Amino acid sequence: MDSLLAQHLVNWMVLGSIYALVALGFSLLFGVLNVIHFSHGDVSIVAPFVALAVIQILFAGVLPAGAGWALVVALGVAIVVTGLLGILLDWLVIRRFRGAPAMMALVATVALGSVVRELIRMFYPQGSNPKPFPALIRDSVQIGGVQISAFSVLVVLVSVLMVTLLFWIMHRTPIGLRIRAVAEDRDIARLMAINPNRIFAVTFFLASAVGAIGGLFFASHAGVVRFDFGIQLGLIGFSAAVIGGLGSMHGAIIGSLLIAGIDTLVQVTVPDGASYRMVFIFLLVICVLVLKPSGMLGKPVFEKV
Amino acid sequence: MVTASDTAAPILETRDLTISFGGLVAVNGVDLRLARSEVMCIIGPNGAGKSTLFNLISGIYRPTRGQVLFDGQDITGKPVHRIAAIGIARTFQSSRLFNDLTLLDNVLIGMHTRTRSGVLDALLRPGRARAELDAAAERAEAILHGLSPALHARRNTLAGALPQADRRRLEIARALASEPKVIMLDEPSSGMDDRDTDALIGDVRRVMAEKPGLSFLIIEHDMRLVATLPDRVTVIDYGSKIAEGDYADIRVMPRVQEAYLGQRAANA
Amino acid sequence: MSATEELRASARPSPLRSLATVIAVELAAAVLLRLFLLSDDTAVIVALLALMGAGFALLQIRPAIEDAIVAAFGEARLAALLLGGIIVLAYPFFLNGSSYALHLLIIAQLYAVLALALNFQLGSANIPNFATGASYGIGAYTSALLAIHFGISFWLALPVAALVATVFGFLLGFPSMRTKESYLALVTIAFGIVIHQLLNNFSWTGGPNGLVGIPAPILFGHSFARPLEVFGHRLPSQANFYYLSAALVALSILSARRLHDSRVGLAWNALRADELAARCQGINVVWYKMLAFGVDAFLAAFAGTVYAFYVSYISPDNFTFIVSVTIMTMVIVGGMDNTLGVILGAFLLTLLPEKLRIFSDYRLLFVSVVVILFLVLRPQGLFQQRARHYGGK
Repeated sequence: MDSLLAQHLVNWMVLGSIYALVALGFSLLFGVLNVIHFSHGDVSIVAPFVALAVIQILFAGVLPAGAGWALVVALGVAIVVTGLLGILLDWLVIRRFRGAPAMMALVATVALGSVVRELIRMFYPQGSNPKPFPALIRDSVQIGGVQISAFSVLVVLVSVLMVTLLFWIMHRTPIGLRIRAVAEDRDIARLMAINPNRIFAVTFFLASAVGAIGGLFFASHAGVVRFDFGIQLGLIGFSAAVIGGLGSMHGAIIGSLLIAGIDTLVQVTVPDGASYRMVFIFLLVICVLVLKPSGMLGKPVFEKV
Repeated sequence: MVTASDTAAPILETRDLTISFGGLVAVNGVDLRLARSEVMCIIGPNGAGKSTLFNLISGIYRPTRGQVLFDGQDITGKPVHRIAAIGIARTFQSSRLFNDLTLLDNVLIGMHTRTRSGVLDALLRPGRARAELDAAAERAEAILHGLSPALHARRNTLAGALPQADRRRLEIARALASEPKVIMLDEPSSGMDDRDTDALIGDVRRVMAEKPGLSFLIIEHDMRLVATLPDRVTVIDYGSKIAEGDYADIRVMPRVQEAYLGQRAANA
Repeated sequence: MSATEELRASARPSPLRSLATVIAVELAAAVLLRLFLLSDDTAVIVALLALMGAGFALLQIRPAIEDAIVAAFGEARLAALLLGGIIVLAYPFFLNGSSYALHLLIIAQLYAVLALALNFQLGSANIPNFATGASYGIGAYTSALLAIHFGISFWLALPVAALVATVFGFLLGFPSMRTKESYLALVTIAFGIVIHQLLNNFSWTGGPNGLVGIPAPILFGHSFARPLEVFGHRLPSQANFYYLSAALVALSILSARRLHDSRVGLAWNALRADELAARCQGINVVWYKMLAFGVDAFLAAFAGTVYAFYVSYISPDNFTFIVSVTIMTMVIVGGMDNTLGVILGAFLLTLLPEKLRIFSDYRLLFVSVVVILFLVLRPQGLFQQRARHYGGK
């Protein structure tokens, strides 16, 4: 029983980490650009496809034993390409909605997500079929007498590392200072010779690259990736960011852990839980928003008169 | 039953009205008594808490302490739309019109509480709903025309296209449309030049003459307006009332000069 | 008086000219739509699209033309209504008996109803709602269950389903008391997903297989599953549902007009423009928001009921998040708070992907790109909101 409980806890942490990597992007983009980038989930799920393509090109699709470096290269390329994709989408579409009503940007990015999905489906080789995605590590480790897959440890460690890195960038580096300045007041930042467009590009890169890591973990966790995985991943990431409080990075993490907690709990305790998990996740979302209209750590909306 | 004491009772009263945001006390123990038909100006330096006072009275903010009474009834903590419905209308410092609607629609929306038709009337008894709205539109036109024939001529254009002075005028028209007992104007002359301000003073005078029971609460900076319009002036500084009375008396009070009138009084 | 206003005043046509304009516009629209529906040739479809694009470009450059047409319709209102009614009634007779064309028209009309339903919310009051598809589904399932298990007729199931959906609509509107914009948008998304997943999982809704064998409505002994015979003319059975959905569109237009030109429509517009200012005019913003959710759900459930009885088979996948987004797209493309625009948006976005057969695989991609282009290039939609007029002026 103990080891079962531990297994559930590990599962919770893994899901929470993956969701957080995606949710952070939503929150970061909202905080800086004040825009809901609804296609963020679809962008994140592009990463596994890129990684598969790199593996295909390097090894004709079959990873030889001991080619760990190749996997690392593929993942690295996937992360960078996805980050650049974020910049590209901003440049092509999203930047045209700065200052437009929030609904416009929301609908536009919903459509954009569908464009990304369809492009994968139509133009990726056999894009409409599910594609097996390799496990990043197969070993398992003993922690406190409990057998835990090394993949779980990797996911949690990398996520903690990424979150730390993101916080470090935001709070300890000049570029982070500029991002926060633009988030605070775009016009004043411009007066201080900060080019907001460059800051937006950096923000999109960071958000998309971190999301890409989430997408890669998601695919590896599931062992498979399909063009429309981004909808679910995006919805969950968006929900986590919203119930945590849009714009708050801490909130995104807490929201992710909460959703992952419900997710795990339902799958464990409710009979036939796997098919009801989305119901419970989104009931949780509704409940949180009814009780805390701006999320758990969001700034309460104070009406300016 | 109307007795002598009733008519003397204030239409609007605040008792010890206080609000603090975080640690900052924005309005501090303000007692106001606005009589029927009275015109009162509220003056004070920027950030003194004048607009916050308006927001407390209209229910946008909930006071930390104290009460707002309308016609002897406690209205503290009532929702904004209820307070508007019982007869307190207002304008905003940065005028808040319905920019994508016509001037006439703006005034008609001001009549929301004076019309009745709901969704079922509109769907099932369209004749009656239509007749009510048409009658309201006629009154709205009259209000608009009474305030400014020029504005009336533009009644079918969008409010967003109006110049600043006309925006303020339209906001006053919208406020009047609700047939209020108290009308609160938040810096009606801000952004106006001298000519517009004179026109504004004329407008307010005309409204006063046409609606003898109406009381005014006006936040103002323009001293010509403050000197000519009100029956009484209240001075607010750092959230507290520091003086109240005739403009002539107020302007010579050392405390007021210190807080607000300063050099201007010295120059006068 | 500004130059454009003078132009508009001088553009006031004579009664005869108005009548001619109305007849020309309505007949042209009917003929073009027929060409569009019956053509299998992609070149013809593209040519028609180009023609329509040119038409809109012309209106964009010369708004006076649009004003003149609108004025003409205002002048010859009765004639316009009469002719419009005749065209709609006679239309099935001119489709060469094509049941496919009728099917397309039914679906387009149902989407027009859905888009008009959402327009009360999104267009008039600017409240996001990504759950119109869910209300559509609640209506369809309620009426289907009533018919299958209790043998209740279509005509009784229709209002009952609408009431059930309205209750859910108000329930969904409840969080709008406190949440706004993106947060409210997520609440509606979540609601839509919860409904979809529940329909997918409950056994009494048939799970992913849905419900089959919904009986066709019967009116005065005539089953809607049978061909319609009029004056010895035999129309495919789809014609029954064509007339039914056309009546529903007419009802929706009537409701849209009456609500738009009412105190309720004004209140919705007010809270769209400035919520706080609206509250200060005595508008109970919470009530009007919930009302918008309720009206949306009511009309959407009507469409859902007709759909269920038309196809006689429904499954959760007919009522997904994507359906809601499609409806929202129709409103935005057509033009917020403009009845004609919203209907046009619904027709375009239903018929175009069906007709562009060679692109059939690219359908969703095409629609998504169109949406983005529209939002970027013409955010106000095909037609803009029109000003109200009072006292018959």
